[in-house]
Amino acid sequence: MEFKEIIGRRRSIRFFDPKRPVEREKIQTILETARLASCAVNAHWLRAVVVERDKIPPEKLNQLKTPVAALTLDLAPVHIYFFVDLGIVNKIKGSRLKELVDVGALAPSHGWSHKFVDDFVYPQILEPMTRNLEGYVPAAFADAGGAAQNALLAAFDEGLGACLNTPNPMLTKQVLGVPDDWLPMWVMLLGYPAESWEAGGQRPRPDFEELYFEGEYGKPFKRDPAVVEKLKAANMIQAPAPLPGRREEIKKLTEELGLPE
Amino acid sequence: MALDKPIADYETVQTWRGGLSEQWGEEPDMTVRTSALERFCEFAGKDPDVLIAECTREVESGKRIRIKARREFSEKIAEFQAASGGSAREQQKLGNTIRSFFIHNGIFMQAGLSG
Repeated sequence: MEFKEIIGRRRSIRFFDPKRPVEREKIQTILETARLASCAVNAHWLRAVVVERDKIPPEKLNQLKTPVAALTLDLAPVHIYFFVDLGIVNKIKGSRLKELVDVGALAPSHGWSHKFVDDFVYPQILEPMTRNLEGYVPAAFADAGGAAQNALLAAFDEGLGACLNTPNPMLTKQVLGVPDDWLPMWVMLLGYPAESWEAGGQRPRPDFEELYFEGEYGKPFKRDPAVVEKLKAANMIQAPAPLPGRREEIKKLTEELGLPE
Repeated sequence: MALDKPIADYETVQTWRGGLSEQWGEEPDMTVRTSALERFCEFAGKDPDVLIAECTREVESGKRIRIKARREFSEKIAEFQAASGGSAREQQKLGNTIRSFFIHNGIFMQAGLSG
């Protein structure tokens, strides 16, 4: 699928086919995309624990359920728990940044050298940053979020459906036995959609000009209708929800899966 | 426990009816639904409005869901459907009817696939 169409087809899928397993190859492909995401100082904060619903003991699965995501955890055959490894910066101490120098991604032309990393970047910026949790934690989460977004899009490229949910932080750490300095970020529920791929249509979004500005705040970035048409032709901008028949689709799924109306 | 007025007259039952109508775009047949709810009210020993009122509390910033009460009623529904007899599918359907009443009154509730 073309990139723009993947963006366009992504929806938060909440009706999964509970009986159709996800191929291991597809799970690996999804994780591979997260690994290749853009990453500040090449630190790679994102970690993941893949849980197969039918392989985890039921009592542990129940502990992982939150009030809002109990049903989707039952429906989705695969749950990928994403964590942020806050300890990584002080474990690698700038070494991965120096790898970027070694491979020519960071060059002296832009001021980079091993000595700059060893004398300045790690001791004077990165290490102190990890002690300022108010700034460090959101930055690490933002970085890991970008990697998780790669994974999310990859799921749709693989013909799957996915939905990000917020896990219970304490119980998730405890049940999955992760190190103390890993913080839970999201659980990506994964499976084949039981609903149509359109899932009722593209979700409502705020107006473009409400979100983006040009030059300064208050001056909206003008949206060119010709570009919009081009993106429609590329299947990135699609028919908005609700599509005709969505109500009937939900009713059918509700009955088939035995859910409240 | 006998209700002190017809079940359809309770405000929360009217809210339920309105929610179903809005969700599905048609006037719902409430006969089977209210009969199930009436049995649940008997089982729980509370009328419909009390069931919902006990799941919420007013705070300065507005209405809050009482987590503990919500969980207790969720468990009560599971008990109710298990005690109702019939096939597993029928039990699940009965429980989901009661969950629907809570859901359309703003009390978040999920059944899970096992019902």
